[in-house]
Amino acid sequence: MKTVSICSLRVGDGLFGIDTRQIREVLGTIRPQRVPLAPEYIAGVMPYRGEVLTTVCFRALLGLKSRIGSNCILVFDGEQNEERFGLIVDGVSGVIALQRDSLEANPSGLDARSMELFDGAYNLLSGLMVRLDPSRLRPSRLAESRLFGRSMQEKQGEQR
Amino acid sequence: MERCLTELEKRPGDSELVSEVFRAVHTIKGTTGFLGYNRLERLAHAGESLLGALRDGKLAVTNELISGLLRLMDGLHSILQTIEKTGTESEQATDNDDALIAQLLQLKDGEFVAKEAYPLHNPEGQKPKPTSHQDVTTVSSTHDKTLRIDVEVLNRMMNQVGELVLTRNQILRSTPGAADFPELARRLDNVTAELRESVMRARMQPMGHLFSKFPRMVRDLAITCGRQVRIEFEGQETGLDKSLLEAVRDPLTHAVRNAIDHGIEPPEERLKAGKPAEGVVLLRAFHKSGSVVIEVIDDGAGISTSCVRTKAVERGLLTSEQADEMSEHEALQMIFMTGFSTAKQVTNISGRGIGMDVVRANVEMVGGSVELESAVGLGTTVRMRVPLTLAIVPALVVRSGGQCFALPQSSLVELVYVPQREAEQAVERIGTTQLYRLREGLLPLVWLDRLLGLEPSADTGKADFYIAVVESDGRRYGLVTDDLNAPEEIVVKPLSAELRDIGIFSGATVLGNGTLALILDIAATGARAGVRQVAEDVGVVDAVQTQAETAQIVMESSMVIYESGMRGPTDGGNGEQMAMPLSAVERIESVPLSEIEYAGGRAVLQYRGELIPLEDEGDVLHEMRAKEGSATATVLICLRPKAQTATRVGMVVRRVLDVSMGKLLATDAAACEQQLAMVNHRVKTVHREYAQTIASTPATVLREVA
Repeated sequence: MKTVSICSLRVGDGLFGIDTRQIREVLGTIRPQRVPLAPEYIAGVMPYRGEVLTTVCFRALLGLKSRIGSNCILVFDGEQNEERFGLIVDGVSGVIALQRDSLEANPSGLDARSMELFDGAYNLLSGLMVRLDPSRLRPSRLAESRLFGRSMQEKQGEQR
Repeated sequence: MERCLTELEKRPGDSELVSEVFRAVHTIKGTTGFLGYNRLERLAHAGESLLGALRDGKLAVTNELISGLLRLMDGLHSILQTIEKTGTESEQATDNDDALIAQLLQLKDGEFVAKEAYPLHNPEGQKPKPTSHQDVTTVSSTHDKTLRIDVEVLNRMMNQVGELVLTRNQILRSTPGAADFPELARRLDNVTAELRESVMRARMQPMGHLFSKFPRMVRDLAITCGRQVRIEFEGQETGLDKSLLEAVRDPLTHAVRNAIDHGIEPPEERLKAGKPAEGVVLLRAFHKSGSVVIEVIDDGAGISTSCVRTKAVERGLLTSEQADEMSEHEALQMIFMTGFSTAKQVTNISGRGIGMDVVRANVEMVGGSVELESAVGLGTTVRMRVPLTLAIVPALVVRSGGQCFALPQSSLVELVYVPQREAEQAVERIGTTQLYRLREGLLPLVWLDRLLGLEPSADTGKADFYIAVVESDGRRYGLVTDDLNAPEEIVVKPLSAELRDIGIFSGATVLGNGTLALILDIAATGARAGVRQVAEDVGVVDAVQTQAETAQIVMESSMVIYESGMRGPTDGGNGEQMAMPLSAVERIESVPLSEIEYAGGRAVLQYRGELIPLEDEGDVLHEMRAKEGSATATVLICLRPKAQTATRVGMVVRRVLDVSMGKLLATDAAACEQQLAMVNHRVKTVHREYAQTIASTPATVLREVA
């Protein structure tokens, strides 16, 4: 198979893509319940099929301000022992089939945050689409990398 | 059958029980004969004829007989297992039960005289025990897949599903605008909630299921170890999720084995120590603040902490200074260290410890914790706390900063409503600590929205608010919230690891209205709010010291004024009046003298499941014992501000005179030094009524620096 089906998403001005096989479900606008004292990139928790789903805010990861309005939540299944989680994006455009070989690696000189989040880019006629790998966006992984949003605790500590 | 047999041993005359066992064995025999399992049939037949003799009163119930019958059961059990695994009766052609059958025959004919013939008394016979334990674990793995549910419950579930289907049909035919739509939606809501509840209930298993394994195990172990042990149960009806029940099975077994093997002394020793020859192991289960607590309590020899300390130093796990600094409680927890548990010589000396690290590892795997308490000569308690991942707990839902939070009812003491007009006066401040006067006592307040960094919905003092008085883990405080919602039975859902790490939420729940509420861990919330206070208080000591040197600054603080055991220079018969910062006193207790115990010459007190040392300046206790009239001693429960671990200490005083927030000048440098010595015992805040007359001389005054 030379083509992959990619779900394209919008966050801010950027265009991103995730392999559809990795996505469990796409949900419409839901405001997750914020968790006090949690790291900034955790958008909150929401009920999902009888479980409590932790959601990651992609805008916060990119360093964008949160916005009011519609959003979409992508749900990813956990691999092995990992827990299921959700990713909040501004919107989902649709599914497109792309040539596998149109994927380019992350360019050198990309900042550390983006290096951590992005997984190369597809070279489309209309422009570039950044490929995302859900396993890199896992809350547990983000917590380890420490590159993203300090938790409120640390902030409070700083203020003191 | 197992249960019947152990009960039979206790009540030998019960013919009902004998018939029950007989029927069971008979059924096995009949069925297996029919299915062509000859080996099983032969064994069952031998057992049946023995039981028949017993039923007809030809034999008397003896220890040996019961042991033989239990072995028969093990034999039947192992054959059944082999059948389950391989589909045939025996794995090897050599497998046979002749020895066992011969024994059963012997028993029947009453020809047993020589004790060596009975496996439980001969050393070789003890060897099969570990294997039989392994068998138990393999069996439990197959049990995992099946669950026994009351037909009643299943019927109810089926009914609810039927109702759900009907409601769905109606909704499909209806439109959102239709007049009956809200009604239908409500019904759907109800049905779903009910169904959810039934399924949850079906998953909950009473602890009794787990406990039922123990009488047999205890019996066998007691015989092997030469102890006399009775096992008792409490809280068998406590519900625990099926999966968790399986998870605590092994640790619990381990703890019970430890209690018998190392805890309970041999009968002679027990008699010497003035205890009944028969030891008691109590298994107790109950719900407490969002978790299930399972305790294994024995009345054995207990663990000597000094031995633990010496051993820890010897083994290089601690330096001797560290060992000395450790509280009793901390020293006991050393037992759980890996290096400790496996070493045999430690076990012999400290009395306990095989595999305690395994117990802890197992319980922690399901998110629980294990504690150990022990009093030398009195016994040991192993306390396992297992979260109710799926359990249903009653909770109160409160609102704060625009969000809902659930407080487990178990830690809720009372609710106080502060109306708008009183809001301003209700809160009193001492430094940065805010207090509420609750029936003469002072209650430290914690603003939930501020603690969590939420935007406060209104300025305090301008709007009404509620105080939820909560208590957990020895901390009692008032949680200030904006509003109270209805109490609900909530289903605890686990949070992901990253959110658990925040530390103050024990889970989340979906409320009736579909929104999520986070469940507050009352103890951790208190610790979080309290820890900050501790840190500030430590800062105050420094500030006070520097200020005391300059010596002319007005200082104010609230102090507990009490009469100590030391003779004052002036007022002959009475004790000297001394002061203690209010923040250091956690509680003022009236303790009956009979409850004060002595360990190694030091007075100790069992206080909320903790052993705290008592400081007795001027021998008040001794004096009181001499005087017949006074039966209770007044004890200030203080917290030592040592590092992170808050350890308690009790100060025995003659009486508490007053709590006073005075303003005074500290001029005397010498007096200052004395005050500071007292200040070292400081930490949190007091909350209790002390109805004492006001004394005139507050001895010291310090100021808390904001």
